[in-house]
Order: sequence, then structure tokens, then C-alpha cells
Amino acid sequence: MEFAFLPVVELGRLLRQKKTSATELATYFLDRLERIGPRFNAVATVTRERALAEATQADREIGQGKWRGPLHGIPYGVKDLLATKDYPTTWGAEPYRQRKFDADATVIERLGAGGAVLVAKLAMVELAGGMGYTQANASFTGPGKTPWNPAYWSGGSSSGPGAAVAAGLVPFAIGSETSGSILTPAAYCGVTGLRPTYGLVSRHGAMALAWTMDKLGPLGRSAEDCGIVLEVIAGKDPKDASSVNRGFRMTTQSGSKFRIGVPKGADKDIQPEVAANFRAALKVLEDRVELVEDVELPDLPYGAVAGLIIAAEGASAFDDLLKDGRLSQLTAPEDRTGGYPALAVSAPDYLRALRVRRPMQRALDDFLKKFDALAVPTRTTVATPLDKPFRDGWPGVTGGANVIGPTNVVGVPGVSVPNGFGVQGLPTGLSFTARAFDEGKLVSLARLYQSRTDWHTRRPPLD
Amino acid sequence: MDAISRRAFAEQLALAAAAPWFLDESAVRRPPAPQQSEPSPLAKALAEAVRVRYPDRFSADDLTAITRSIDGRLRAIERLYQTALTNADEPDFVYSVYRGAD
Repeated sequence: MEFAFLPVVELGRLLRQKKTSATELATYFLDRLERIGPRFNAVATVTRERALAEATQADREIGQGKWRGPLHGIPYGVKDLLATKDYPTTWGAEPYRQRKFDADATVIERLGAGGAVLVAKLAMVELAGGMGYTQANASFTGPGKTPWNPAYWSGGSSSGPGAAVAAGLVPFAIGSETSGSILTPAAYCGVTGLRPTYGLVSRHGAMALAWTMDKLGPLGRSAEDCGIVLEVIAGKDPKDASSVNRGFRMTTQSGSKFRIGVPKGADKDIQPEVAANFRAALKVLEDRVELVEDVELPDLPYGAVAGLIIAAEGASAFDDLLKDGRLSQLTAPEDRTGGYPALAVSAPDYLRALRVRRPMQRALDDFLKKFDALAVPTRTTVATPLDKPFRDGWPGVTGGANVIGPTNVVGVPGVSVPNGFGVQGLPTGLSFTARAFDEGKLVSLARLYQSRTDWHTRRPPLD
Repeated sequence: MDAISRRAFAEQLALAAAAPWFLDESAVRRPPAPQQSEPSPLAKALAEAVRVRYPDRFSADDLTAITRSIDGRLRAIERLYQTALTNADEPDFVYSVYRGAD
């Protein structure tokens, strides 16, 4: 039986009906990770022994009628910035290639408690891009490649989770986003990515790039799958002071229309195919949405605040690498010096950024509360070619509305779903963004869209 | 300047040198201009401070890149001080006192 592209819900049904076993699923995906993963530089470590042990336990429990929930017996992978017992946790960076932790990250503990089976640590951009990479070859595992056309980037920094889900190497994966690192690979790889509200998912055991901006979230085959995973991993964690006392439950919004804001310029001066797919996607939803065109985000220095916070927090988080010079071991040449300018950030300037962010949060919340969600093309282009710096990948594309940056600074959630294809057979993405803790609306919208389209079921040409 | 606003362009310009850290659209649409302007004396002085801290670590090209990055960040910081704040506007974190188990 072919399991590679089945959604979590279907895999769970097969398990409950005893038409497969957790061990068969684990073995199936382990083999694909080892056989296909290297083509896309998608895998850091295959966790075969652990996976088979967890799968054996899942089979025993399922056989005894002990059902842990919808992820019981389902294989998954994690971006290699989540601490994992007995296997290296490399952060994609040469200095940490052999480093091991003696405990699992909270997210892995929660997925384990839900019966999920960890099959791989997935590749990532070194230090989650914290040193300022400007091209795709920025990890000791090599540049992430999108399975749709391996001459193009998978996106980052959750490059492995994006590519692995797209290639059917794992049913779902956990990625992280400080500013674009879940939604970008979701768009470039043609999968669904869900960035939760800051604090909804514990960061304990995850590499810190910017403590006040890092988020963990799922990438999967559908919004429903991502919602199922978020239900398991969300919630307060005493080990993460920034985690909030909220959970997540999927709901469906039936009847009433979604009020959707489209930021001014969202589809202007971007790749024509991306713009066309965006408008076609909104058309699919037209009977269920009330569109408000040309809305404008409050005029505030989002980029300056984000840049300063990430620079200062990143320089502190990696101060050992800065101090002892091991940045020189990083793969991307620009990453080897990219951390040093942050040493010139003054404490008052960093605090100013944190002070400005507070009225920024209020202003953006006041703006977002007028809508159920904002809609934009996730990226203004398809994936950039591997052999060029990002800035030179698609020259002439100067437009679009930057929503990823501002919404990450204040920590509100977003989802990206595949909505078609552009040049070179590469996928495009549609994003929805909402107020803090409105993941339910985002998942509902995305599920509605996916109930009317089949972009999320398309498969890359792997053979 | 018809595709994006002057404000947005200015912010991207600053970010281009100040924050290649985070990959939002500004990283892909990064404008080339910052490389063409002379870094400010403050940026040069701060870069020199970095060099003094690690005297044997950087090539001339490295120091040029570091100086430009600092210069861009300084421009970005100017915008932070254009946002009106009062003395009561605190940073967005809350310090809490600690008392361990008795």
C-alpha cells in the first residue's frame, strides 16, 4: 500500500481498522527518508532505532485498545533545532554537528504522549538564519531543494520540514518561525504551514534565535492535519515562561461570511502567476467571504523593530559562537561575519525597540480586529533558484505587501496553503493572518479553501 | 519609486544593511543602494570597536561588510526614535521577582 501522501486522518483510520500498523508506517517512511531525502538535502538524522521502538509501543497499545488520539502511530519529523535524546541536535550548523542533549523538547514530549513516532530530524538553515544568510547554501547539509524542481530552493529556515512533507517523506513535521521560516518553505514546497501565536506552543528545548519572536508550528498535507497537530502541541508549559495557558481546538465556522482584508498592493508588481493564483483563490471563496480591498497596516517601523530585536537577541543567544570565533565554521560565507554587527547595538536601542513594540501590538490588533483574517500571497515569487543570491533570484519583482514581517514582530498567527503553480512548475502559496489566538479562524478558512480545491493533494514528480 | 512607498523603501533600505537577519520580503527584494553610500563616522567607529575586540579575526572585506551593516542598522534605529513614547511606555516584558522553595 502507498502511504506517502495520505493525510494524517486517513493514516489514523487505517491504523484503527488494523489495515496497517505503526511499525509498517514507520518502516515505510524511514525507507523513504533514507532513499529520497538526500535528493533534497531534507534530512539531518534518521532516527530509525527510536522510531521502531516508539512504533512497537504504539502497536502494542493500539492492539490493547489503548487509543492515545489522532496521532497515535503516525510518523513525523522535526526541524533539527528541537532537542532530542540520543541523537544529534545540530541546529544546521557545523559547530554543533555532533552535539547531543539529554532530554527531549517539550513539543517532542507532547507528540510522544500523543503516540506519534519520531522518524527524523530534518535539515534547516544554520542557526535558523540568525547570522543573515543571503543565499540557499547555508547549512552543512547543503542547500534545501524543493521537490517540485530541485534546481530551486525549498525555502527556509525550516527547509527540511517543507521538503520532507512535500516529497512524502513524513506525514507532518514541526518547524519554527521567527520571521517567515514556516510560511516560506510551506509556499515554496507546496504544503500547508501553520505559524501559531507566540506563546501558544512551548519553546522549551528549541534553539533560541530571538526569545521574544520564536514560534514552533506544524507543516503538513492540509490545514486539517496542521490543526490536529496543533491540538496536541499547544498549551502551557511550566518550562517555558512565555507559554500561555490556552489550548487549541479545531472548529468550523458555518454560515456567516469571513471578512477578509486584502492589503494594498498585495498582488501588484509581483510575479504574474502568483498574482493570478491569489485572485483565483479568493474567487474560489467568494460566496463565503466579504473582501475588503486595499486595507493598510498602521504605519509603524516593523522592520526596524524586528531587525533590532533579532540582532540583539540573536547575538546574545549565540554569544559563545561570537566570542570563540566558531562562526567561521558556518557554511554560508556571509554567516561567518553576520553576527558581529549586532555587537554595536546599544542596550538603550534594544530597549527602545521593545518599548515601540508594545504600541505596535495594540495598533496592529486594533487593525486586525476589523477582519477575520488578512489575505496575501505568501511570497511574491515562486522559489528562488539555488545558484543565485535571493536578491537576484527574480529581478524586477519589487511589489507586494509585507505581512510576514509585521505579523511576526507582534507574534500573531498565520497559515499558508498551496494555491497553484507558477513558473518552472513551482508552487505558490496563499496566506491568511489573524489576531492573536485566532488560529481557529485561520484553520477554518484554510480548510474551507482546501475543501474546494485540490492543490494540496498534488504530488511532485519524484521519479 | 512607484511600486512601494517612500517609507517602505526607506525601511527596506535600512534593513538591507541592518537586518539581513530575518527573511521576510525585504530580504528577497533587497535594494542595492546601501553599498553605494559612505558609512557614517559613527558606524565606522563602532565597526572599529568590533575590530579591536577581535583584532585577528576579520579581513578588509569582512570589516567593510560589518561597517555597512552597522551603518544600515543605525539608520533603522532612527525610525524607532520617531515613534512617540512616554516615560510610562515600558518594554514589552515583565520582570518578576523570584523566591525559591523554603
